[in-house]
This record gives sequence, structure tokens and C-alpha cells, in this order.
Amino acid sequence: MDMDLDVPMHDAIEDQQLGPTLDEDRETNSADNSAGSTNAGNVGQTPGSLEIDEVEDLHDPDFKPGSSGIADQKSAKPLELTNSTIDQLDKWIEYLSKCQVLSEEEVARLCKMAVDVLQFEENVQPINVPVTICGDVHGQFHDLIELFKIGGPCPDTNYLFMGDYVDRGYYSVETVSLLVAMKVRYPRRITILRGNHESRQITQVYGFYDECLRKYGSATVWKMFTDLFDYFPITALVDNKIFCLHGGLSPMVETVDQVRELNRIQEVPHEGPMCDLLWSDPDDRGGWGISPRGAGFTFGQDISEQFNHTNDLSLIARAHQLVMEGYAWSHQQNVVTIFSAPNYCYRCGNQAAIMEVDENHNRQFLQYEPSVRPGEPTVSRKTPDYFL
Amino acid sequence: MATETADDNSLYPLALLMDELKHDDIANRVEAMKKLDTISVALGPVRTREELIPFLVEVAQDDEDEVFAVLSEELGKFVPYVGGPEYATILLPPLNILASTEETLVREKAVDSLNQIAEQLSQEQLFHDFIPLIQHLADADWFSSKVSACGLFKAVIVRVKDDSLRKELLSLYLQLIQDDTPMVRRTAAKNLPLLIDLLTQNLDLSTNEDWDYISSMFQKIINDNQDSVKFLTVNTLISILQFFNAKKDYSHTQDLLESSKKLIGDEAWRVRYMAADRFDDLASQFEGHDVYIGELVQPFLTLCEDNESDVRKAIAKQLPGFASLVKDPSVVSNKILPAAQSLSMDESEIVRASLAVTVTNLVSLMTKEEAIDHLLPILLNMLKDEFPEVRLNIIANLKVVNDVIGVDLLSESLLPAITELAKDVNWRVRMAIIEYVPILAQQLGVQFFDQQLSDLCLSWLWDTVYSIREAAVNNLKKLTEIFGSDWCREEIISKLLKFDSQLLENFVYRFTLLAALTTLVSVVDKKVIAEDILPFVSRLADDSVPNIRFNTAKSYAKIVERLSQDSNYSGLIKHTILPSLEKLRQDEDFDVKYFANQSLEKCNITLWMRN
Repeated sequence: MDMDLDVPMHDAIEDQQLGPTLDEDRETNSADNSAGSTNAGNVGQTPGSLEIDEVEDLHDPDFKPGSSGIADQKSAKPLELTNSTIDQLDKWIEYLSKCQVLSEEEVARLCKMAVDVLQFEENVQPINVPVTICGDVHGQFHDLIELFKIGGPCPDTNYLFMGDYVDRGYYSVETVSLLVAMKVRYPRRITILRGNHESRQITQVYGFYDECLRKYGSATVWKMFTDLFDYFPITALVDNKIFCLHGGLSPMVETVDQVRELNRIQEVPHEGPMCDLLWSDPDDRGGWGISPRGAGFTFGQDISEQFNHTNDLSLIARAHQLVMEGYAWSHQQNVVTIFSAPNYCYRCGNQAAIMEVDENHNRQFLQYEPSVRPGEPTVSRKTPDYFL
Repeated sequence: MATETADDNSLYPLALLMDELKHDDIANRVEAMKKLDTISVALGPVRTREELIPFLVEVAQDDEDEVFAVLSEELGKFVPYVGGPEYATILLPPLNILASTEETLVREKAVDSLNQIAEQLSQEQLFHDFIPLIQHLADADWFSSKVSACGLFKAVIVRVKDDSLRKELLSLYLQLIQDDTPMVRRTAAKNLPLLIDLLTQNLDLSTNEDWDYISSMFQKIINDNQDSVKFLTVNTLISILQFFNAKKDYSHTQDLLESSKKLIGDEAWRVRYMAADRFDDLASQFEGHDVYIGELVQPFLTLCEDNESDVRKAIAKQLPGFASLVKDPSVVSNKILPAAQSLSMDESEIVRASLAVTVTNLVSLMTKEEAIDHLLPILLNMLKDEFPEVRLNIIANLKVVNDVIGVDLLSESLLPAITELAKDVNWRVRMAIIEYVPILAQQLGVQFFDQQLSDLCLSWLWDTVYSIREAAVNNLKKLTEIFGSDWCREEIISKLLKFDSQLLENFVYRFTLLAALTTLVSVVDKKVIAEDILPFVSRLADDSVPNIRFNTAKSYAKIVERLSQDSNYSGLIKHTILPSLEKLRQDEDFDVKYFANQSLEKCNITLWMRN
């Protein structure tokens, strides 16, 4: 496909962002727009409707998965950190923490290392307590820094992020670069799962692709990161008790073991178990329902209870939906939603939250407001200096 | 090409610059312009003068503002590149063009560059080239050139020793002061205090005739119909008063006082704001003339009751400064204190917060009894203000009050204020009060601290927000620096170690205790480290949580750094710390191994250096 086909797609984003519901996570098509059906009027909202673009994109050699070459020389065993790579990573982390971007060549080196860390993680990555579980960040870099101020720095605090690092916010590149650099430096201290936005198709619509073009002048960095996203684990299991993932359950997954059998190293599919895990939402209605998002399903309390019972779990922790308090219980505390982007899209007015789970499985939610941004006035009214 | 001569090669830098400056993309042209100094070094002074500058004169007439802005700035540094001051006037024509452009940013940079160059010009060059440039700009039709002219007088005004020429310049300035366009008048009025200050620095230079001109300028701006010009009169007035005070000439003081009162009572709030904002500076020019100061009391009180909260905010800060100028104590207690009282209850929190910054200084003007009867109630009330910044500002400036009236009378209100701020839902308010604690501790003394604040300081260690816990840890270190190691052992460390049995259950608490004790290592006696801190750290070396284990490894390095200074502890290091670090180096967790290795390396270097 030629790049000029992007143009109507970009128009669609703008229309949507100006609309009353700016969040695709909340955006609902009419219920008869079932998953997988294509609807030209909703380009950019559902993976189903993106199929046309996606197929054509992937025929273009430039947009083919793996074309960045970051995974061309995969190692047969997990990356072993030497003192010089540790020094390099510490420098990158220090640099990235100041909201500065790495060079294209540095991103390539980082992503190659990250492939050799992430390819050896499991579909259901086992994690020990204590750990602090976080939801969507969406390129809100300064709020990620605020998150670390609230929860403590990595590696002193262990973190689990449940996806959606890019798109929407203005600093997707800085945000995802920092998290990946931390992952490579401290693979046992931080876990980064894949969200539905860690995908080639979605990032072309919601900002990450454009941000890479703007900050690097080409799509190379976008290709490297989206190729890397294929290696992210899709779920995590905290001490065999808390099942963590970005979206929710799938009618094709009854046991955690079934997740272990999936082939996750691929672009997020439009349907099927892997798609559902990244797209589904809990719902007040029982049973399985058609998702208004056009991908994944809605699932009721009966489904969550059954899944937790079958797998001997105490809780499903997920992200994916904006919640005003930063966290929200559903299904009688069988499911918790955590959302870590305060004042989402710089205008939703929501609080953010993270969930600390201590070594005795006690849970504590920490809520926080948007960070004080550099250059923004902290006083309500300016003195009349402006005409001096 | 083989036939190319050396001469052709040396043309290369200029050709390259020309190409880049013709580039379609403006970013390339801006970048090229930033490299101008490199090009001129490559060309050498002669060709810079003969080829580059004429070329730049052309460029300066035909490009975008972004490029002009860079060019304007670069040219200011160009004197060495054209061959030194004797050739510097060659830079004036391009800057003349740039100083006449419509874009403010470009003009301002051109004016700055011109002023830089003027400093390096000889008298002869000033007369022959620079002053005609000023005259040319000032006589232009378009306002932009005249605005630039206003900024250039400061470069020449005191370097002109010839009275008639200086008079001519001032007459030209007077013309700019009464220009038709407000932009020119505003710039002229803004630069006028700078010119007067220069005359004050060269006290014997100016003549009575010069001052006739300056007086006319002052009269023009104080009567200007534009607020944005008129409010600049305040600064001019202060500069004029400074000149005559320096001259010890008080013949105009009465008139200037009348002008001050006129500005303070101006109907435009911006003018009143400016007068309020600079009130101390203005009033202090009348210091020593008690009658004149007395005449300013009523205008001052009027500003305190101004309708505009911005004016009240500005004057609130000036209150103690002005009160110190008023020599009559009855005026302070009967007029100024009531004004402070009413500002402390102002409807606008910004006014109250502004008053809170300085109001405590009033205490130095009164006896202890007066302070207790009149000032203390105001302060106590402000400590209960609903707006956190008001309370914070008072607490931050309590030292002076404490010195006069002692802490006992304050404590009753101070403590609730601190306790409440310490529990504020906004963690940044809690952070602010923690940062004040060391200042308070210094002011209030150890006894008061132990009775009233020490529990609070320890409670911050268990805050839910990491940054607060971190600040609480650093706070303990600062307190130890103030109160000493023995105090720390008795009041802090013993309490911390008592805590641990209940709190050991939770990883966050163990982590914070470890961080607190590790941070204290650098400020307590070695005996305390060896007897109290080290046993606790060693216990955590077997912790079930890897994050704790690698932090004990880091902690060991700090302990060794201190204990190795005393040979009595070498056995302890050798038999307790190093074996424990060796064990951590064999840990199953990669990060624990890594930090244990790092610490061992540090310990070995420290020990090697000591031996």
C-alpha cells in the first residue's frame, strides 16, 4: 500500500479525537457492529475495520513485521549483562529519565538487547511478591515519573506494567524507551506486558507512528519498537494468585495453561484468544457479550468467578479502561481495573492509581494526580508582569 | 579538478555558506547562520570585511525573521573576526538594517549586539559612526527604528564628555519620549531610568541643562495618556531621587514627593500596582526626612485598602520595610499594625500569602510586650489560615519572632498548624512542611523538638508515598547534623529499632528502616554504627525479598567507608561485613549478586586506600 492511503485514516483520528468520546476504550459502535465485521465509517476504531489497511500495509515490504531487523540475530539464550552493557543502560536510563530521546542507532541496540530478554519470557510470566501493579500510561511521560515518585524508584520497588505505553500522550517514544531500558537493565525487577496499543495497526492511528516520524524523521524507530512489541509477554501470574493482563478473559481460554500454549510472537490478531486477552472488558451483564469495541468480548461476573475458581486465583488485575478513581473493583472483587494515566489525554480529569501487593498479599492502592509539569504556572493568577 | 588553484579552494567556505543560505528549508538557513563565526575564521579578517559582510548586508534584507534573529545575535560577537575594534564600524550597516525590521525579537538582538560593539569603539568612532547611527534610527519614519534607537543611548550617554553634544542627544531622547506612537514612548520610558542611573554613577558629568531635559521627560511620561507608559514613571522617579540624594541636593525633594503621591493615587490600577510593588524603594529615598515619610503614611494605607487584589498583594510585602522607615512608634502601632491586621484577613488568599512572607519582620520594630499584644494574634490567626501557602510562609519565617518573644507563646498555635499541614491530602504540601522541619528545629531547640515534633518526624517514615518517606529519611539526617549523634542514638535510632519488631512483616517498612539507618551512617558516631546500625543491617542480609538484600549490600559499603577510618573496627569489617557480602555475592538473584559485587569492590578500594 502506498503511504497516501494514510490520509483518510488520519482524518478519522482527528474526527474522533474531537468528538465527545475521545477514548477508543470507551467509544462504542452500535451493538450490531459485531467483531470482525468491517465498517468503513469507523476506520481506525476497531481492528476489524482496519483489516484493509493492515493487509495492504503488511504487503508493503517496509511495513512487514520483522523488517526493522532487530530480531535478525536472536540469541539462543537470555541476554547476559556485562559491566559495559550495564554502564550503557544506566546512562540511557539516566538520560531517558530527563525526557530526552535516544538516537536511532541507540534505539536499535536497545531493542536488540530487549528481544533477547523478552523472547525468553513466558506467555504467563511468573512474578513474585512484593510487586507494584500499574495500568495504562499512554505516553504521559511526566506522569510516569510521578508514578515512580509515589511508588518508589526501580529497582528498589518491583513493577508490573499491564500495557498501553504508547499513543495518546505526547511522549510515547520517551515513555516506551525508558520502560524497555529498565526492563533490559533489571529484567527481574520490572515486567512489561503487551497492551492492545502495542500493535502496528493501532499505533498508526493513535499517535505513536506520527510521533516517531516527527522525532526521528523516519518510521525506522516505529518499526523497531513495533517489531519488539511482538515479543512482550501477554499475561503475568503473581505468586500463582493474581492473574494480570491488559484486557480480559476469552471464551477460548478456560485455564491459565491454555494461555501458555499460544504462539504470542506475532502482531495482535483481530480475533482469537490472544486478541481477546488484550481487548476484552468486564461487564455487569452475565456471560459473554459482544464488545462494543469491535474486538474481544465482554464477560460477566459468572465468567470471572468460574475462571478464578478453576485456576485457584484470588484476583484478575487488568487495565484497558479509564476509571475516574484510578482503580475500580468489579465482579464482587474478582476483577480490578487499574489505570495509571492521570488526567488522561490531558483532559479527562481522572485520578490515576497503582496497586502495591506486599509479600503477605496485602493490597494497597495509591492514587495520584497529574504531575506538576515544567513551565506550567502553579499559581492561579499571574501578576501583571506581562506588560512590563 | 586538477586545475583548481589554492585560491579557488579558499572560496569554498563562503560558497558553502551561500548555498546553505539559499536552501529552501528555513531550518537549514538558520543552522547555516549559526555557523557564521566558523566561516569568518576560515575566511580571515580581510575577506570577512571585504566579502562576507557585504554579502550579509544583502542577506539582512531578504530572508525570514528566524534567520535575521540569528544573524543579529552573531554579529555582536564579530569584532574580533573583522580584525579588531578599529574595523568594528563595518558591522554597523547590517545591524542598522536589522534594527529597523518589524519583528521585535530581531530588533532586540540587533540592539544588544550594537551595544556590545559600542563598548569596543573609540571616541572617534562613536562620534563619527555610532551617534549618527542613533540619530538616523531616531529620525526614521517608522516606529520600529525609533524603538531601537531608544535602546542605544545607554551606550554613549556618559562617554560623551562634550556638554553640547550630550545636550543634543538628550534633546533627541526627549523627542522620542513624546513620540506619536505608544510603542516608542514605552521603550523610551523604560530605558530612561538606565540613563539616569548612568548619570548617577558619573555624578559630576551632567549639567543643569541636562536636568532640564530630564525633568521635561519626566513630566511628559507622568502625564502620558497611556497607562502602559505612565506606570514606567515609578522607576524613573526612583532613579531621579537616587541621583539627587547622591548629590545631596534636596531642593527638589518636596516636588518629587508630590509626584510620588500622585502616582500612588493614580486612577489606573497598573500605575498603583507599580507604585505598591516598589513602595519600599520609593519611600526609602525620603529616609531622614521624617516629615516626608509621615506624608507617605496615608497613601500607604490607601494602597493597603485598594480595590485591586494585585495592588494589595504588592503592598502587603512592603509593610515591614515601610514600617521600619516610620520613626514614630505610635504610627506603627496605631496605623500600620491595623493595616497588617486587615490584610491578614483579606478575602484573597494571594494577598494573605504575600503578607505572610514578610509580616514576621515587624517584630523587630516593637518591644516584647507590644509584639505579644499586637503582632502575635495576627500571626496565630494566619497559622490557622485555610490556604496552606499562608501557613507555610509564616512557619518558614518564624525565626525572628522566636528570637523576640520565645517559642512558648507560639507553640500552642504552631503545633496544630504543623500537624495539619503534615496530614494534608496533597503529598507536595506534606513535602513542603518536612523541608521546613530542620529550620524549625534550629529555631525551636532540642527540648521543644523532642516534646512536640519528634513523633511527627518518625511518623512520616510510614507515609504511603515513597517521596515522603525518602524526605523523612533525609530529614532525620539533617536533624542529626543539628542535634548531634548522641541525640540521634537516643531519640531516633532507639525508637526506630523498637519499631522493627512490629513492622518487620511489611517489606516497605523494612526497606524504609534500612534506608533511614543507612542514611544516618554518615552523621552518627562510629560506635553507634557498630553497635546499633550494623546488627540491624546484617539481619536484613538474609531477608526473603531480594530488593532488601541488595540494599543491605549497598548499605555495607557505606558502613565500611566510615568504620574503616578507625582501626578498632577492622576486625568487625573483616569478620562480619566482608563475609556477609561474600555470601550475598553468591545469591541466586542477579541484582543482589551485582550490587554485592559493586559493594565489595568499593570496600576493597576503601580498605586499600586506608592501608
